[in-house]
Formats: sequence, C-alpha cells, structure tokens
Amino acid sequence: MGTLNLEGVSFHYPGRGETVLDKVTFVIPAGGIFGLLGPNGAGKTTLISILAGQLRGATGSIRAGDEPLEALRRRRPHGLGLVPQDYAFYPMLTCAENLRFFGAVQGLGGARLKDRIAAAARFARIESALARRAGRLSGGLKRRLNLAIGLLAEPEILLLDEPTVGVDPQSRAFLLESIRSLAGAGRTIVYTSHYMEEVEAICDQVAIIDHGRVLVSGALSEVIRDGSGLQELFMQLTHRSLRD
Amino acid sequence: MRRLLALWGKEWLALSRDVLGLAVLFLMPAAFIVVMSLALSEVFKGGAARQAEFAVMAADPKLADRLARKLSGDGFRSAPAPADEAAARDGVRRGTPSLVLVVPRDFERALNAPLDGKSTQPQLTLLADPALPPTQLLAFRQRVLGVALALRVSAMMRRAGIAADADAFDLKRAAALSVETIGSSARPSSVQQNVPAWLIFGMFFVVIPISSLFVVERREGTLARLVSLRVPFSMLLLGKVGPYFVVNLAQAALMLLAGRTLVPWFGGETLALPARWDLLAAVTACTSLAAIGWGLLVAVCSRTLEQATVIGGVGNILAAAVGGIMVPRFVMPEAMQKLSEVSPMAWALDGFHAVILRGGGAADLAAPCVKLVALALALFAAALWVHHRRRVLTSAQ
Repeated sequence: MGTLNLEGVSFHYPGRGETVLDKVTFVIPAGGIFGLLGPNGAGKTTLISILAGQLRGATGSIRAGDEPLEALRRRRPHGLGLVPQDYAFYPMLTCAENLRFFGAVQGLGGARLKDRIAAAARFARIESALARRAGRLSGGLKRRLNLAIGLLAEPEILLLDEPTVGVDPQSRAFLLESIRSLAGAGRTIVYTSHYMEEVEAICDQVAIIDHGRVLVSGALSEVIRDGSGLQELFMQLTHRSLRD
Repeated sequence: MRRLLALWGKEWLALSRDVLGLAVLFLMPAAFIVVMSLALSEVFKGGAARQAEFAVMAADPKLADRLARKLSGDGFRSAPAPADEAAARDGVRRGTPSLVLVVPRDFERALNAPLDGKSTQPQLTLLADPALPPTQLLAFRQRVLGVALALRVSAMMRRAGIAADADAFDLKRAAALSVETIGSSARPSSVQQNVPAWLIFGMFFVVIPISSLFVVERREGTLARLVSLRVPFSMLLLGKVGPYFVVNLAQAALMLLAGRTLVPWFGGETLALPARWDLLAAVTACTSLAAIGWGLLVAVCSRTLEQATVIGGVGNILAAAVGGIMVPRFVMPEAMQKLSEVSPMAWALDGFHAVILRGGGAADLAAPCVKLVALALALFAAALWVHHRRRVLTSAQ
C-alpha cells in the first residue's frame, strides 16, 4: 500500500461548531510503527476513525501511495485493518464464533477462513480460549481477541487504537512484542497510546497532536534529539494542565 | 451473500443466548392468548351466554311471578324478590341481583286504561347495577317494555271482547327470525379474536431484541468495526431481517398451536383454523416485515438500552391499545374506531381476521398486506436516512 500521506486533514462533527482536527499534515512511512500521541480529546481516535473509513466528511487529502485512500479501500477493502480502543466484538459469542463471523464478513470462507482463524488465534495466543464466551474473558484476553480479529484478513496497514489499555504488565509485554513482530513482517502500523514508554520502545516515527493540531512529527530519534525523552517533550508541548 | 449469511448467523446466535428476550417473544403472547381468550369469552358469546339476575317486586305476588316468568331467559335469570325497596336498592348496589323491576300497586289498573292519550301511562321503575354492561341493560329494558306491551294489548283485546292471552303477544312469537353470519362457518369467538391479536402484539415485540443488540453493537464499537470492514449499513440492517422473520414465523406457528391446544385445555374454545394456509402465511409475513422495520428504526434512533426499551415497548403498547389488540375495535366509540385505522397492528388484525374469521381470499388480504409492506419499506428507508443524517458511528464522538 505504500506511504500514507495526510495533508490538511480537517474534521468537525456534524452539528457542532468545534473543529476536532485542524489541517493535520504528516507522512506515515510504509513498513514501520508510527506512534500517534496526544492527551485525551486531542483527536487521535477521530483521526484513526477517519483512516478506518468510519467517519465521513473530513476535508483535505489522505493518499496511500499514489492514490486516494478511499479509492484504495474500494479496490482492496481489507487491506487496512482496525483494532479499535473498544472491545469491538460480541460478548455473547465465543471467541471462535467471533473470529468466524468477522472473517466471514471480510469475505473469508471454507479452508481459508479456518486457516486464518487458527493463525490469528495462534498469533494472539488465545487458542485455549476459543470455546469461551468473549464477554467472560479477562481484560488481557479480550485485548488479544480484539487484535486477532484485526489480523484475520492480513491487512497491510493496521490501525491500533490504544491496544494495551487496561491490561496487566504480562499481557502488555506480550502485545507489544506481537506488534513489533507484525511490523517486522512488513506491515505499516499506526499506533496510538498514552504510554510514552511503549511508544519509545516500539515506534520508529511519531506525531504528537493536541486540540486537533500537529505539534510535532517525524522520526522518533529526531523528535527527541536533545535526549530529554518523549514524556518530557510531550508534557512540554501539550502543557501540564489537567485535561478532561 | 456470504456476508449476509454471516450476519444472520451472528444475529441468530446472539438471540439464542438471550433467554429473557426469547421468553418475552414466546411466553408473553401465549400467556395473553390464554388469559384474554378466557377473560373475554362471555363478551364474544353475546348476551345469551352472560347470565344476569333480576327480581320483580310487586304488591301482587301472582303478578310478580308472572312478570318474572315472562322476563326470564336469554341471559336473564329470576332471583327471589327483596323484602322492600330499600333492600332492593341495597342488593342492586352490591350487584345481587343486578336488576330489580319495581311494579307499583296501580300498575294493572293503568294497563287496563284506554290508549287515548289522556290516561296515565303504566309506571315501572328499573333499579340497575352500574357495573352491568350497557348492552345488557338495554336488552332487559326492551324485554320489560315488550312484556308490558303484550300485557297492555291483551287487556285492550279483552276489552274489545276478543279472547287473547298476553303470551300470544310475546315478541318471540311475532315472527321466526334466523340470524346468518356471512363469510364464516361459525360466529367469531373470543379465541379467534385473541389469538391473532396477541400474536401480532408478540410479533411487534421483536423491536426489543433487535434494538437492544443494535445499541450494544454501537456501544461496544462493533458496528463501527463492521463499517470499517466496508459492510454496507443497509446490509447490517438486512442482517437482522432474516433471523427475526424466522422468529416471527415460529411465533405464529406456536400461537396458533396455543389457540388449538392450550386455550381449550384451560376451558376455552378451540381455535378454528382457516382452509387457506398460504394466505395465513402471507399475512404473517407482511406483519413480520412491518414489525422488523419498526425494530430497525427504533434501533437506529435509540442511543441507549433504556431508550430502545421505552420507545419500542411504549410504542407497541400504544399501537396495540389503538389498534384493537387490547380492546376489540367493535366496542370502541366511532371516533376511536376511525383512529384505530392508523395503527399497523389494526391493519395486521384486519388481515388475520380476513383469513381466520371471514374465510376471505387474496383480494381481501390485498389492502392490509400492501399497507404493511409499504410501512416496512418506509421504516427501513427511515432507518437508513437517520443513519445517513448522523453519519457518525463511533463512540469517539
């Protein structure tokens, strides 16, 4: 799919005057992990939702390589995957039923669907939980099921919206390791998080946004060139006042 | 098609694990069918089946006996006369008996007075229990006037020298009148009114599971995920139609079975099934589409489970109250009967009655079925329009 190029992307929710994204411009290089940072209400999830095709009405341009992202999405509907911040699966269904359902709605069927379910479950290490109802899983297992669903159609670009929220340190370490291995396989990963140490550990490129504006973007090593660390830079750029 | 089948399969699994939702869909209408069929059985049988007690108070015991004998029958049963008028009023206030006819001392003399317009009319007083149905009070009133007329005519004829007993002028002997109900082998019974009525009510209650799961899907972000997977919103809605259509058909089969077995088991009448099963299936299908369409619109409009339950539940109850489900339309005043024509449940009931009660054909079903399908399409389009207006699906807002 190549590089994702965002240029002057603006958005406001219908019926509300407030601009949620204001001329957001940055480049997400192909085949790496791009960290999208910002305090609560900065516009991260909105931007991820626009990239995932959930929200319409954004102005500006989003291009994947040489073509508009929307055209690419039409051409290859499952080339871009999303692992949302919410547990976006059916709690009353088992893990296997959830995987079967989300695989089928992405056009997978027969032996290919079976193979992909097995591979995604193996990758997320949820094989032993396949027969369990999703709503009864621990927080860590739910996050892993969420990730497995996002990987079913083997997307080339994966949008991960705060995938480690509410999990124990073991599950977090496992998820980070998994994400690193996904990038190693040539995928482009857009990763949002509040945890600076996570971003520093796994991201090659970052952008910090606040109030819908890009405060800084570029290679991680260039952004924190003065050696102060990402946390300090983040606090410096977004100020220290408490957010809603 | 694979995606649509997957959506149907998911909906089916989710529904099958919602025991409470299924109980509402199947047990509630079955319970209403049994209870209401039994409770309203007398109303649908007409006056003859409902017995009301009356007493005649007259100074002359022979006249009291004679009047009581003539007034008995057709749903009216004679009871012992109260000791005095105060006791009669007290008894009627308690409903035992429901009616007391008070005959004054000079009644017989007044009967014999000439019909010249100058004489005083014979005076009678009827004490009535306010809880007595107005139709029954009217029937008894007509019965008393009929007996009084017979007595007066026979007295007049005697005066003219013609021998005639008052029994000869009994209204029943005036002519042989047979009543023929058109379009049905039997008169509509309580079970024939209540099985389709409460079946329709139950079918429209799919609004609760449809909208509840939809709200959960939106709240959990599942809907947003499906949209990001490029599943068209119209397909998401269609994904709910198939399973609930099957649920509605199952409801219809089980509620008809309840009318055949459960109601008679509790002492009610047995539901007479129509000869045209194809027409019954057609009206069931059209009702189902309208019910599912309503469920989809409520689902899209509701932001919380509480909203979905209140909008869906209250909407159904109002439509049922207006549409002749809770109260048969024939007992409603004319203005309410006109108003009931706006209720989709009334259209559905018309369709079921055309098949079950009147043994109608396809032409009789056309109007209600066209209205129900048009409503279903309008509700589906409205659901898509509301979604399009909102445009925003995620919880990110």
